[in-house]
Amino acid sequence: MKLSRDYFLKTFRTDVGQMEKIVAQALKEGGDWCDLYFEYTTYNELTLRDSEVTSGGFHIDYGVGVRVLNGERTGYAYSESTDYQDMLSAAKAASVISLSSRGGDTPLSSRSGSHLSSRPGDATTLSSGSSAVSGEIYPKPYYQSLHPWAEASSEAFIPFLKDLEQRIKSRDSRAAKVIARLSYSYTDTLMFNSLGELTCDSRPLGSVTVSVIYSSEGRNESKSASRSFRCGAEMIGEKLCEELVSEATRGIDALFEARRPKGGKMPVVMGAGASGILLHEAMGHAFEADFNRKGQSIFAEKMGQRICPQGIDIIDDGTIPGNRGACNFDDEGVPGQKTYMVSDGILTSYLHDRISARHYGVEPTGNGRRESFRFAPLPRMRATYMGNGTADPASIIADVRKGVFVDEFSNGQVKIGEGDFTFYVKSGFLIENGRLTAPVKDLNIIGNGPQALVDILAVGNDLKIDNGTWTCGKEQSVPVSVGMPTVLVKSLTVGGE
Amino acid sequence: MNIRYGITEKEIEAARFCIDCASSLGAEGARVSLSKNVLDTVALLNGDIDKVTHCADRSIYLYLYIDGKYGTYSTNLLENEQLEDFVRRAVDATRMLTRDEFRKLPEASRCERNAVDGLELGLYDPAYAGITPRQRTEMAMAGSIFPGDDVRKNVPGDATDDARDDTSDDARDDARVKDAAPYRIISEECEWNDSVDDNYLIDSQGFEGRHTETSFSFWTEVTICAEDGKKYSGYSWKASTRLKDVSAGGCSQEALEKAVAQMNPKRVRSGKKTMVVDCNSSSRLVSPLLSALSASAIQQKNSFLEGCLGKKVFSQDFYLDDLARTPGKAGSRLFDTEGVATADRVVIEGGVVRMFFVNTYMAGKTGLEPTIEGVSRPVVRPFSSFGKSSVPDHSHNIPDTDTKVIPASARTNPDTQVIPNLSREEIMLQCGEGILVTGFNGGNCNQTTGDFSYGVEGFLFSKGKIIHPVREMVITGNMTELWNSLLAAGDDPREGTRWQIPTLAFKDVTFNS
Repeated sequence: MKLSRDYFLKTFRTDVGQMEKIVAQALKEGGDWCDLYFEYTTYNELTLRDSEVTSGGFHIDYGVGVRVLNGERTGYAYSESTDYQDMLSAAKAASVISLSSRGGDTPLSSRSGSHLSSRPGDATTLSSGSSAVSGEIYPKPYYQSLHPWAEASSEAFIPFLKDLEQRIKSRDSRAAKVIARLSYSYTDTLMFNSLGELTCDSRPLGSVTVSVIYSSEGRNESKSASRSFRCGAEMIGEKLCEELVSEATRGIDALFEARRPKGGKMPVVMGAGASGILLHEAMGHAFEADFNRKGQSIFAEKMGQRICPQGIDIIDDGTIPGNRGACNFDDEGVPGQKTYMVSDGILTSYLHDRISARHYGVEPTGNGRRESFRFAPLPRMRATYMGNGTADPASIIADVRKGVFVDEFSNGQVKIGEGDFTFYVKSGFLIENGRLTAPVKDLNIIGNGPQALVDILAVGNDLKIDNGTWTCGKEQSVPVSVGMPTVLVKSLTVGGE
Repeated sequence: MNIRYGITEKEIEAARFCIDCASSLGAEGARVSLSKNVLDTVALLNGDIDKVTHCADRSIYLYLYIDGKYGTYSTNLLENEQLEDFVRRAVDATRMLTRDEFRKLPEASRCERNAVDGLELGLYDPAYAGITPRQRTEMAMAGSIFPGDDVRKNVPGDATDDARDDTSDDARDDARVKDAAPYRIISEECEWNDSVDDNYLIDSQGFEGRHTETSFSFWTEVTICAEDGKKYSGYSWKASTRLKDVSAGGCSQEALEKAVAQMNPKRVRSGKKTMVVDCNSSSRLVSPLLSALSASAIQQKNSFLEGCLGKKVFSQDFYLDDLARTPGKAGSRLFDTEGVATADRVVIEGGVVRMFFVNTYMAGKTGLEPTIEGVSRPVVRPFSSFGKSSVPDHSHNIPDTDTKVIPASARTNPDTQVIPNLSREEIMLQCGEGILVTGFNGGNCNQTTGDFSYGVEGFLFSKGKIIHPVREMVITGNMTELWNSLLAAGDDPREGTRWQIPTLAFKDVTFNS
C-alpha cells in the first residue's frame, strides 16, 4: 500500500509549520536536537481455545513523543493527544533537560550521506528543508501489505485457526489441548526532527502462535510453534498452516522420551535457526552502543580487534524483506540498514542510535528503536544472525565424540558486563560418537559470550533465519528475529542431573 | 482528598458512556476499566543527569458480552465522538466471534462494595502531590556515590542555567569510593521514579470500584572493572507506596559493594548442596507455583499442580497466604480485574494446596468454585526446621475452617510476627554450608511438568560465612521436589514489594558447574 505525505499529516492532525513550532518550544531552553515521533497503532487478536474462537478484540494506541537531546542527555515526554496545546505541553516537559546540562560539541547527523539512493522502502521520506526527497515512494519496500490488515475482517481468519487445530489433532492423537492465537497490527508513524527531516512509515506485523499440550499415559508435555512477519493478511494461508502444524507436531515421541542429561562441560552443537537466540543474548546486546558508550559492555574498547576466529561474520540486519525485525526506517528516521558487527572475526561496528553515533563520531546504523511513542529510542537489534560458514552440518555432528545438540530454546539471559549467559534448552539430543542419540530437554547451557565466540570450532553452511515471535525486552519490548547456521562450540557448561 | 493527576469526573463520565453505548447497541453485559497513570523519572549516569522523562497515560478497556460472545477492546482516544465509534466497532467485532456459554460477568454478590474513592487501603500518599522536579533530582542524587555538592546547580525545573562543570572522568575520580581498591568504577546508573496509578472499574450490573496508589522507588547499578579486565555489576533498590519510606542514601554504595563481592569467582564442584536464596531473588521460585495454581493453566492441562487441590504436595512447613487486604502495603487491592472482592486467603497450608485462582470464566469451564482471578500479595510465613527456638507457632494464623479465607480475627500478617532473627545470615548459619544464591541468570520452569533449570549466581558459604563467589552454575530439579525440601523461610521479605517472599533455604539441590 502506497501512502502519501498528506495521509500521515491528516492521520496525526498536524502540519509542518505546527511541528516546527513544537520543536522550537522544545529547544527554547537550549539543547541541540529535538525529534517528534507520532504513532497510531491498531492491534488485533483472535484466540482459539477448546476448538472455538471465543475471544478476540482490538486495541488502539495513539500519541506523540517529544525528545530533546542536550549533548548525550535526554529529556522525554509524550502526549496521547496531538492537539497543538497538548503537544506544546509535552515539548515543555521534555525541555527541562536543557535547564541543567550542556550541549554536545558534535552535531547529530542528518540523513544525507546515508543510503537513501540504494535503500528500498514503501515509506515516504521528505523534509520541510531544501535537501529533502519530497514525497518519493520507494518501489521495493522491506515490507508491504498486499492485503492490508486494516481492510480485512477478523471473521475471515477464524477458519484458519480452526483448520490449524484440526490438523494438529489429526496428525497426533495425543494432542489434548490446543491454543492458537492470531495477532496483527498496523502502525502509522511520522517522525519530524530539528533538521527539518520528515519521515513517514506504515508498519504491518502479523503473528500466529500455537501451543499444544500432549497427553500420554498420564503425562503431559507441551510444544509450541510460531511465525511472525511484517506483511499483510496474505501471510494467512496453506503454507503458513502447514509450517506451524509440522513444527508443532514434530518430535513428540522424543519429547516424552527425553531426559535431562548428566551435566558438565562438553562440546555443544547449536542447530541452525533458533540457536540465534544465543547470538542475540550472549553477543548482540554487548554490541549495542549504549552499553559500550557507558563502558559497561564486554566489548567496550575492543573496536577493530579480533574477537573470534577468522571466517566468522555477525550481522544485524533491518533489510530482510518481510522479516519481523525489518525497518524501512528506525524510530529516529534513519534508513534501515544491514550492519556487520563482526567481519571475518574482527569487531567492526557497534549498533548505534543517534546519541551513540555522535559519541563515536560515526553514522547511525538505523538501530534507534522504541516500543512505542511512550519511550525514547535506544540502540536495539533487528534480525541478528551469524553468516554462513563452510562446514557441512552433518560433518559437524560427526566430529563430536560426546556432547549435546540443541535446537529449541525458550529464553536466554546475559550479564552485559561479565558476558556470562544462560539459555534454557527445550529440546535437543545427546551426541555420542558422532551420532544423535537420546533426546534431552529442560536443561540450561551456560557460558561466557566472548569465550564462546573464541571457542567456535566450526560454522555450517546452512544459515537459517528463525521467523518465530521473538521479542527483545531490553527496557522496552521490540520485535526482532534471530538466525544461525549450525555451529560447534568447543566447551560449554550443560546443566543436567 | 484531591488526587494529583487523578481520574476526573469527565473521564468517569466517558467510562459510563461506554457502558450505556454498549447496552444501547445490544450488549447484555459490559465492563469498563479506566486507567490513568503518571510516571516521572530522573536518571543519572555517573552522578550527573542523563535522562528526565514525564509519562502520562490514560486508557479505556472495554469488555463486551453480546449474544453469549465475548471480546476485549481498548483505546486511548477518549473523546465522546471517538468513543462512540470505538464501542460500535467493538460490538460489531464481538458479534463475529463464536458463542461461549461460560463468558459472563461475575455474580454481583461477589463484587466489592466498599471501594468508593480508591483511598480505602491507604495506598495513595498525599506527599506525592507536593513533589517538585528539584526534589526528584535531589532524591536521585542522594543515592549516588559521586559527589553531590553541586546538586542545586543541576536541578531541572529551576530557573538557573548553571551548567555542571565536571566530566564523568573527574566525577569518577572524586567518588567517595576512591581508594587503592583493585578495581575501577566503569559506571553508575541511578534512577528515581515516582508515579500515581488511578483505576476506575464499572460494569453494567451496577458495580463501581476505584483503586488509587502511589509508588516511589530508587534503583541503582554500579559496574566495575577489576585489574584483570573483567567487569562486574551490582544493584540495589528501594521502593514503597510512601515517599518517606524511600531513602536513596547508601544505595549505590551497597551496589558497589555487591559488585566488588563478585570479583574473582571460582567454580564449585557439581553435586547436591544446600541452597539459600536471598530475599531479593526468592520470588523467582514462587512464581512457577502461582502460575501452576491458575485455573486457566489447569484447564489447559498445562499445570503440574492439576488435581492437587486439597492434597499435600509440598513440605508440611510451607505456608503461603494471599494477604490482599493489608492496608498501606504494595500489592493490596479490594477487587480484582472483574470487580470481585478480594479476601485474605490461605493458598498453601502446611504443604496442602488450599486454593486455585479461578475467575468467572474458568469457574464455568472447569466446574471449580470461583475464587479470585490471580494472586495479589503473596506472603510466605517464616519458619526454620533447624531448631524449635525459631519455629513459629502457626496456629494463631491458620483458620480451622474449610473456607480457606482467613477470618479477620486471625488476619495476622507474618510481617509482624515476632520470630527471633530469621535473617539471611541466621539461616546461612543454621544451614552450615552450601550455596547462597543472590541472583538468577536465565533459565525456566516447565509449567506442565514442574521441571526447572536456572542459571544462578552467588557465593559458596561455610559455617554461615561467605567463602567466595561462584561462577557458571546451574540448578536443576522439579518444583514439587524442591518445595518438599524446604528447610527455612526467613522473616526478611523486602519492604515495598508486592510479593513478600523472604530468604529461603532448600536441601539437596542439584548444582552443576
